[in-house]
Amino acid sequence: MIDVMRKIPLFILNRRFGWPKMLPINLTLSPSPRCNSRCLTCNIWMKREDELRLDEWDRVFQSLGRAPFWFTVSGGEPFMFRDLVPLCQSLYKHCKPGIINIPTNSLMYKIIPGKVEAICKSCPDAQVIINLSLDGVGEKHDRIRGIPGNFEKFEQNFRALRELNCPNLNVGIHSVISRFNVDDARELYDYAFGAKSDSYITEIAEQRVELDTVGVDITPTRDKYAWAIDELIARIERRKFRGISQVTEAFRVEYYKLVKEILSEETQSIPCFAGWASAQIYANGEVWPCCIRADNLANLRDVDYDFGRIWFSPEADRVRTSIRNKECHCTLANASYTNMLMHLPTVARVGAKVVGSSLPVLNGPVGVDPSRSPSTTKI
Amino acid sequence: MQWRWLQDHVRKPKDSLYAQRVLERYRMGMKARGAIRGVQVIVGDDSCPICRQYAGAVYHPDDAPIIPITGCTQQGGCRCAYRAVMDYEEAENPR
Repeated sequence: MIDVMRKIPLFILNRRFGWPKMLPINLTLSPSPRCNSRCLTCNIWMKREDELRLDEWDRVFQSLGRAPFWFTVSGGEPFMFRDLVPLCQSLYKHCKPGIINIPTNSLMYKIIPGKVEAICKSCPDAQVIINLSLDGVGEKHDRIRGIPGNFEKFEQNFRALRELNCPNLNVGIHSVISRFNVDDARELYDYAFGAKSDSYITEIAEQRVELDTVGVDITPTRDKYAWAIDELIARIERRKFRGISQVTEAFRVEYYKLVKEILSEETQSIPCFAGWASAQIYANGEVWPCCIRADNLANLRDVDYDFGRIWFSPEADRVRTSIRNKECHCTLANASYTNMLMHLPTVARVGAKVVGSSLPVLNGPVGVDPSRSPSTTKI
Repeated sequence: MQWRWLQDHVRKPKDSLYAQRVLERYRMGMKARGAIRGVQVIVGDDSCPICRQYAGAVYHPDDAPIIPITGCTQQGGCRCAYRAVMDYEEAENPR
């Protein structure tokens, strides 16, 4: 993490002046778009790609070296990618990241705990965050995810993951707030906060090129989302957190406020570092600055799997210029957390909040579980 | 609520396999009983009259106009795109 902090001023310089040249610290991988969910908010499951093979991924990681600190292995459903465990082993071997974050729909709950355990054991110095999707309670979850019985499988998966004896494992819950569940947000929060997960995060459903949802009206209205987010912020602020959780929860509150601001102003409220500090590699080897725009900078197969050749290309510069000129804006959580880290006023507010202990006292099940190692809670 | 910039962003020039690739996956999505009900053509304020005549209608992937639209007169080539139409949109906006 210290290494990341050291790089922040360099990324700010890089975004402003194009120097020094930096590889991203936050990388999302989508090894496969295949998914066994049928969500109302996502159409990625219909996609089929000529997916990168494990040996190809290995060469990509080799070219990245130690640059990325935070990997998100996304999908589709990541556990449908047969080589998920060796993929994580390969990225760990070459990149030694601090965080490996994997979301899941829990449908393959019988094999997920075993694979998670294998990942945790073979990546001992990385924080492994498994975020279980939860968009409603009971049948409401099943309806939004398009799969009967999904909620029950979520609960089974959650229990099994909590029973794993892996000190570097963090089991979180992740909700997408869409027009289909925004009215049930209180019920969802009650359940999620009561579940004793290591973290609870929400994200607004938004259109993405990656998910093939451009033009599809899935986002809740601004007013309804503002209500849902105020409710969530109030719950977080009623709790008290200790140690690193104070920092992560303070960032989380900042994120939710930022989303409201972006929805209201419809512009980049803080500078976006997608294309500088964060990026995505899609299943077929395309490199994107982010999954919202999904600009194809080039394909790794065409450059001998050398990420830097794409990242430092004129095409990447062209897309960066577009992002810098605020030709886009969005609330994508993954990129937003990196953006906040690069935004000194946000970092200062978080610092002041932590130092001033303005987060009230805790016993909260969400954010920190005293029975687990303090090192298990990360951003 | 929808991002206006994104609607325009997807109206980039497409490769020659775009229509085949997208319509094939929508066809598969409908067969697999997802929430997709059909496909629409996304046009912009700057689209030519020929393209604009296809806007609004919901097509089965088998019957959708092929992008680039034949006869499109837009300078620099057709910039239309497809979008999935979901069954809940139909329930709310019956035609």
